[in-house]
Amino acid sequence: MSEKGSSTAPRTTLDISPSSSPSPRGRRNYLTFWERVGVRAIWIFKFIVFAAIARLTIASDLLHDSDYDYDPPVPGSYALPVVKRAGDGALLDTNSKVVNLRDLTHGRVTVLSFIYTRCAAPKACPYATGVLGQLHDVTAKDKALARMMRLVSISFDPDYDTPQHLAAYSENVREAKSGCEWHFVTAKSRAELEPILVAYDQAVDKRSNSADPQGPLYHTLRVFLIDREGRIRNIYSSGTLDPRLILADVKTLLLEEAKLSKQ
Amino acid sequence: MKLPINYQLHIVRISVVAGALALTLAVSLRVTRADETCSSPYLARIDGQEEFVYVWTLGVEGLGDGQDKLVTVDARPGSSTYGKVISTASVDGRNEAHHAGFRDDRRQLWCAGLDTSKVFIFDVHTDPAKPALVKTIDNFAETTGGAVGPHGAYALPGRVLIPCLSNAKDHSGRTALVEYGNDGNYIATHWLPTKDDARGAAGAEFADGYGYDARVQPRKNALLTSSFTGLKNYMTEFGKVAADPEAMKHFGGTMVMWDFHARQPRKIFQVPGAPLEIRWAWGPNHNYAFTATALTSKLWLVYADDKGEWQAKAVAPISDVKGGVLPVDISLSADDKTVFVGCFGDGKCRVFDVSDPQHPKQIYEKQIGKQVNMVSQSWDGKRIYFTSSLLARWDKQGADNEQFLRGYTWDGKELKPAFDLDFTALKLGRAHHMLFGSSKIGSPRTVAAN
Repeated sequence: MSEKGSSTAPRTTLDISPSSSPSPRGRRNYLTFWERVGVRAIWIFKFIVFAAIARLTIASDLLHDSDYDYDPPVPGSYALPVVKRAGDGALLDTNSKVVNLRDLTHGRVTVLSFIYTRCAAPKACPYATGVLGQLHDVTAKDKALARMMRLVSISFDPDYDTPQHLAAYSENVREAKSGCEWHFVTAKSRAELEPILVAYDQAVDKRSNSADPQGPLYHTLRVFLIDREGRIRNIYSSGTLDPRLILADVKTLLLEEAKLSKQ
Repeated sequence: MKLPINYQLHIVRISVVAGALALTLAVSLRVTRADETCSSPYLARIDGQEEFVYVWTLGVEGLGDGQDKLVTVDARPGSSTYGKVISTASVDGRNEAHHAGFRDDRRQLWCAGLDTSKVFIFDVHTDPAKPALVKTIDNFAETTGGAVGPHGAYALPGRVLIPCLSNAKDHSGRTALVEYGNDGNYIATHWLPTKDDARGAAGAEFADGYGYDARVQPRKNALLTSSFTGLKNYMTEFGKVAADPEAMKHFGGTMVMWDFHARQPRKIFQVPGAPLEIRWAWGPNHNYAFTATALTSKLWLVYADDKGEWQAKAVAPISDVKGGVLPVDISLSADDKTVFVGCFGDGKCRVFDVSDPQHPKQIYEKQIGKQVNMVSQSWDGKRIYFTSSLLARWDKQGADNEQFLRGYTWDGKELKPAFDLDFTALKLGRAHHMLFGSSKIGSPRTVAAN
């Protein structure tokens, strides 16, 4: 930190356009096609390794561990007040088809995570994807739950996480062939993504060091629980992203629906 | 020698896994953080040393603009303006400015007023050196179902927890915890348990329904609250309150352990004498928190016993001064070894070795001023900051009414002055809560390796 000229200047919102980004997009311009493929493969593989570690770290039978040293509350024994309505916007699925986020946040209880595949912070995106993978594994063994639940992973790094890239990525992280829906979506551009990030209060900034070992973007970890009506009912971050808690919350919402339908 | 393709792939996979693990280790060792030790574990942390100290300051009639204000002080060593005020942002009137807290992404600072129940939201992201007021919550009582006296703001994932001190109906200490979303939308109100409505919590016979601080230990899914007094008392001159036996009956004497996720009270502890600030230990196996009781001058420990049951007990007196020293704020070091106690009564900071949390020992004391309230320390424990004001009507009078922000260095043995700002001479007001700001923000404590 220096006295004069230190970074007290106003910061702008994230700009990860190729022209402003020193890397990796800019760097990619100087790489051959196969080098670019190699770089992507390494990022994917690295992310998968971290996600797998996270998945292994989470006890397969959802027992508590040293990070979550408690018994989760009994589903239905507590309330989940509405936080706000889930945001909408146009996104691209892994087939480059335009999808409305609204369609991915209504009709089923949804667990929605913002990620970017270049993230290498073990307790951030890889961990979140590992937790979603764990939930996916649970629904593979519970068909009734699988029919009522949905997982969504949205990339906030559209320049890098293209539909094709996410397709390859999703194939690798989705271990169970059955289980609930799990959508991987990205945006056409940062500009189209911005209103969605604002709606979900998802902070994303470029790191000052683009070669930061944790990845080029700084972001808060956000995973959302959304009810069938498209209302956000909980927000998880590291420290609360315990798959047992999320499952308890999903079941609490389903029990709430059952209770309401009896009235 | 040419290896079979399977072998080559296997070696590549092992290399990548090893590389990934090495990267993890490198990340763990590389990141240094020096944030304040008393903030929420969900809060995005400062990378490196704090650059600014924000002081939520009570306006004083006839002094400067007379308004409550957020004062920004330069804390960058070597800066030409180090230890000086570099910006102020005044709000509407005097609200009994008290505590403040960041959102989890550290982009906004929420500053609360105990009297008007207004919450002023500042943007500290666009220009951390010059916070700007962007929103005011001015319908708190109506929105929350009658909770008043918002004490501060505590970052939770995507939302803010506001523990309150009072209620609109009778201005007693019966109060609630309130949740707002990060964008300022109201979410929920959770009333503190009472004898008549303990909601299944053990120790219902102790319940008083009072509130003050609220702090979470994520690893244990534990939310701990403490208790102070209602608006009737904190908006009355301290001399009058102290001389009124009836008023003195209306101070909190409880702490409550909650199931954090369910927001349900589980156990109520009898902790006489107004337990105020709560500081959870940071160590991965340290299942305890400290508090200090203002009226009985004691350090209390809330801890998980051998069976994992939460217990509370007094573990040390804070001074042997007759009548007590009114300990009001405590700061626990990041290594859980040292507690700094701000004692309003005699203006001293007392430092305790709490390496053995069951048996704290005072190791140092220093006169900070005629009165002292808040104490905040950096994550590396090298810088300690103090402010002076308790409440507008409880601060000392005349020459004893010093109003300041004082910075010190701490070498483990001694507090040495670094800078001193006279908030009266600067026509700012009464200096209360301090928070650290920076342009360099990292991940929350729960993400980053220590």
